Amino acid sequence: MEQIKTKKVEVRNLSKIFFQKNSSFEVVKDVSFDVYDGEFLVLLGPGRCGKTVLLNMLIGTETRTSGEIHINGAESGKPSPAMSMVFQKKALLPFKTVMENVELGLKFQKIEKEQRRKICQKYIDLVGLHGFENSYPHELSGGMQQRAGIARAYAVSPDILIMDEPFGALDAQTRYQMEEELLQIWEKERKTIIFVTNNIEEAVYLADRIILLSSCPAHVKAVFPIELPKPRDLFDPEFLRIREQIETQTDLSL
Amino acid sequence: MEIKGNDLEKLRLDHKKIENRNIFKFRILTVMTIIIFFGLWQFVADQGIVDSRTLPSPAKIYETFLAKLTKKAPDGNLLSANILASLQVSLFGFFSAVIIGVPLGLLMGWYKILDKTLTPIFEIIRPIPPIAWIPIVVVWMGVGLSAKVLIIFFSAFVPCVINSYTGIQLTNKTFINVSQTFGASNFTTFIKVGIPSSLPMVMTGIKIALGNSWSTLVAAEMLAASAGLGFMIQMGRQFARADVVVLGMVLIGVLGAILSFLFSSLEKYLLRWK
Amino acid sequence: MEQFKKKNLIYQILPLVSVSALILSWIAFSLATGGIIFPGPASVVRRILKTFETPIAGMTIIGHTLISLKRVLTGLFISCVSGISIGILVGSNRYLKATLGSFLEIFRPIPPIAWIPIMIMWFGIGELPKILLIVLGSFFPVMLNTASGISLVNKINLDVGQIFGGSKISILKEIVLPTALPSIFSGIRTSVSCGWTVVLAAEMMGAQQGLGLLVMKGWGINDMALVLGAVIIIAFIGAMFSYLLKRAERLLMPWNR
Repeated sequence: MEQIKTKKVEVRNLSKIFFQKNSSFEVVKDVSFDVYDGEFLVLLGPGRCGKTVLLNMLIGTETRTSGEIHINGAESGKPSPAMSMVFQKKALLPFKTVMENVELGLKFQKIEKEQRRKICQKYIDLVGLHGFENSYPHELSGGMQQRAGIARAYAVSPDILIMDEPFGALDAQTRYQMEEELLQIWEKERKTIIFVTNNIEEAVYLADRIILLSSCPAHVKAVFPIELPKPRDLFDPEFLRIREQIETQTDLSL
Repeated sequence: MEIKGNDLEKLRLDHKKIENRNIFKFRILTVMTIIIFFGLWQFVADQGIVDSRTLPSPAKIYETFLAKLTKKAPDGNLLSANILASLQVSLFGFFSAVIIGVPLGLLMGWYKILDKTLTPIFEIIRPIPPIAWIPIVVVWMGVGLSAKVLIIFFSAFVPCVINSYTGIQLTNKTFINVSQTFGASNFTTFIKVGIPSSLPMVMTGIKIALGNSWSTLVAAEMLAASAGLGFMIQMGRQFARADVVVLGMVLIGVLGAILSFLFSSLEKYLLRWK
Repeated sequence: MEQFKKKNLIYQILPLVSVSALILSWIAFSLATGGIIFPGPASVVRRILKTFETPIAGMTIIGHTLISLKRVLTGLFISCVSGISIGILVGSNRYLKATLGSFLEIFRPIPPIAWIPIMIMWFGIGELPKILLIVLGSFFPVMLNTASGISLVNKINLDVGQIFGGSKISILKEIVLPTALPSIFSGIRTSVSCGWTVVLAAEMMGAQQGLGLLVMKGWGINDMALVLGAVIIIAFIGAMFSYLLKRAERLLMPWNR
């Protein structure tokens, strides 16, 4: 089963320190990892510390203190059309309808209205928001808002999709459903996904590979390839064993 | 590569240096802008680019300021008398508006029966610009202190009522329910829950009221007065003394800024729990 | 249930009662003061109707109203255009904030009405000084609210703009300005009421036409019915302005409720 995997993203010795008046605060410490083409990579880490900053450096909206990031072999520093992102919080624009939110990226690329509407409609349908194109975000449930966020990220057809705890604020029921649907979309579209979560079950359910991060500052603690076939059964003994194994190494304090 | 020890300290100091330099840079820019403005003004007046009788220089205005401290011409009052007259009228009107307007707005917002009775009347009076009251009040009461106070009162009263009314209506319903579940009467809830939660809005209303009363004062003194900064400006215009007019404007601006600064400090102190 | 209905009925009647009480006390007050210095509603209405036929200072009430409206709308238009653009500049650039912003800040504490005498000395009592005064009175609310509205934009929404490849201009247009719109609009609302007050003041202190002049004319010849009539028309137009703005706000910002 050995196959040559192309490296999509290379992160080398990435660090981030925030400075305040008389103190400094290290949130990301010497992080290195690779992401392969078509891979579903999960960054699993506890708490609120470091992960979002790490992602923001990856996508280029946050400066780094040191380290290198290569996307498709080239050094990257600012946002590029190769990547797009789904956020943890409400990052839909409240004054735009679902359709207007989803087509934002294509509008920025100056794609004609008719064409971009067609593309966006496809992704709106794909995430199950058909019929809600003209709704405003505040009229949607949390799960539907995240669906719109996913459609927006897919609509620009990026190489790499970054997802920052996209299901973190959802109730358990919706969360399972969204995870399942995300996997279906991933199977269909075959994009490289970098997915951040603090939920071990979610990580094991979704990931091809899990990178376990430590808390404050975030650095790589361990890497777990998960070779179970998808879709996975949450109660499969093997699933539970892997989950257990990761759990013992995590300092997820609850 | 890991960052620690000396490297970290160096990075931190660099960061601090850049930060400090930035703050300093923008402060300098602000000060420079103001200096350049007054410098240009002085230059334009000195060079006679505009007639100094219509645009006196800052130096000339300062001279007039010193002179007005001891001379009564052209408006018949010392500067101190004008300032005191203005402060007296505006603060008098302002405080009476706050004392009457805030409780009234709070009660209107809390008790439905008062809301239904008084809000329609208030809505009729509200769109009348305060300065439109000047002739009506003056004909009725003359140009004395009470007439001017009443005019200021009208201008400050409206924002006090509106903001108190809206502020108390925005009280979180959960807090009201909690309070009443614990057996508090409607009046106790009004005092203990309604009033504190409306305080930020009330303060904003009072701040608007302060600004309104100061600018309406100027109009009232221009149209009907025998003393005050507005009167001084009006007299300056009649005697074609642009220096007196601009001095009046500057003093009105400075005093207004001081009043609103004092009030903001008070507000910060009162709302320090926020 | 029965009691609830009764209560509702009272609430419906109360406003009528209080407005009638207001009108009755107006009548009573005018009778008590002899009807000259504070004429009753009937004579005010008669006086207003008369202004439609008999010209004052060369034109009927409609002419004066249109003149005042033209002045205030011209001034407001200039204020909105310059206030929003300068607000964007000052709100998004620290250098401009330190220079242009501080420069404008020098003038802000001076009430617009205090400018009237010097404006008359500089430019007389024509149209230019009046429009300048309205601009002085209505510029700051729009400018300051635009600048502060722009700073309200969440960092995450700006990130969204960058990540999806928006240029500075398109992020401004698609993300920043819509976020600031409610704040800009509340600035415009303040500006409109300030502008309306200022035009009135300017006309009261030196004009040959306009509603403010009517107030002064009436005051000058002790025709208090004319004063009250003009004030009522002024208040009515002011109320219309705020009603129209509320409607426009709902139309322009459907996501705000």
